[in-house]
Amino acid sequence: MRIALRSLAVLVGLAALGGAAVAWFADLTKAQVRENRRAAEVGILRELAGIDFDGATDGDVLLCERNLVIVRGVGNGYGGEFRIALAVEAKGSSPLKVQGVRVIEHAETPGFADILKAGSKWLDSFRHGEVDAVTGATITSQAVMAAVERALQRMEGGELCPP
Amino acid sequence: MSAMNRFVESAVRRNPAWGQLLGLCPLLAVSNTVANAAGLAVASAIVLCGSAVSVCLLRKLIAPDVRLPCFVLVVATFTTLANLAMEAYAFALHQRIALFVQIIVTNCMILARIEQVAWKEGLATTLTDAVGTSAGFAAAILTLGAVRELLAVGFPLAALPPGAFVVAGLLLAVAQACSTRFQTATGDDDSTVRPPS
Repeated sequence: MRIALRSLAVLVGLAALGGAAVAWFADLTKAQVRENRRAAEVGILRELAGIDFDGATDGDVLLCERNLVIVRGVGNGYGGEFRIALAVEAKGSSPLKVQGVRVIEHAETPGFADILKAGSKWLDSFRHGEVDAVTGATITSQAVMAAVERALQRMEGGELCPP
Repeated sequence: MSAMNRFVESAVRRNPAWGQLLGLCPLLAVSNTVANAAGLAVASAIVLCGSAVSVCLLRKLIAPDVRLPCFVLVVATFTTLANLAMEAYAFALHQRIALFVQIIVTNCMILARIEQVAWKEGLATTLTDAVGTSAGFAAAILTLGAVRELLAVGFPLAALPPGAFVVAGLLLAVAQACSTRFQTATGDDDSTVRPPS
């Protein structure tokens, strides 16, 4: 009994010590990590737009010009919420053609998430209008398709980027 | 055993990858380029040295019957710290190899060094062994990374997962051949498992 209590105390003590160390260090690096993610996101958005623009805004609409609209979207995949951005060729408020889709942040299963990488054949297929779900990554691919669809519908309804 | 001997023993003769075939998952998965390999080598070294020293300092406190959960707690703490540090200060590298940094916690190479050395020996021995093992792992993964990156110029397969198995197998054969030759030359057959005397 005494040995068991002692073991328990050591385990609890170690867990508390480890937890405290991690919490302290996470707090220390928080600002830097946030800045890194932001910079990566701006890089992705600039590459998607093909032009230099300030991608650091927080709203859903990142760029709203006559013929090019860039909006954010969210979806729910296998690993939880993910964030995407899409560039759309538009006339007024009606979307004509998807120019590109990028996944900014996701928590999908590694390996299965390869289809979400920039330049993947599957992400490219959004530009041609014919998109199929991916075998083995059904939930992930359908969730991205749904998120794109939703963003386009919001655009059409004039909710994003009003004329 | 002198410190130098111990270092050579852990880094070369008992090399975690080529001598004991431990830690092969990250070794194969992250050795597609030298940069990735170096990142994982540094992260593994931080986790191994940090956990070994911590366990060594706490070894009087840790009760034998709960030593494994204790070791895992310590290793998990250091793995999380290394992962956070990489995300903050080497973000591009982190985006490529984060998954494999996180699973350092399950690397049996680290648990083996803690169980066999850090928990039993003094601080100096523990540190020498941890640094030696880290150096051995770094040498193995960097060699594999360099060979694969160079081969990939002519044979793209070398950079892909199947190529990892092929190249690692060939390097292992070379390492075995070298150690056999070395042992024949010195008349030393210590690599085979001997019954306790």
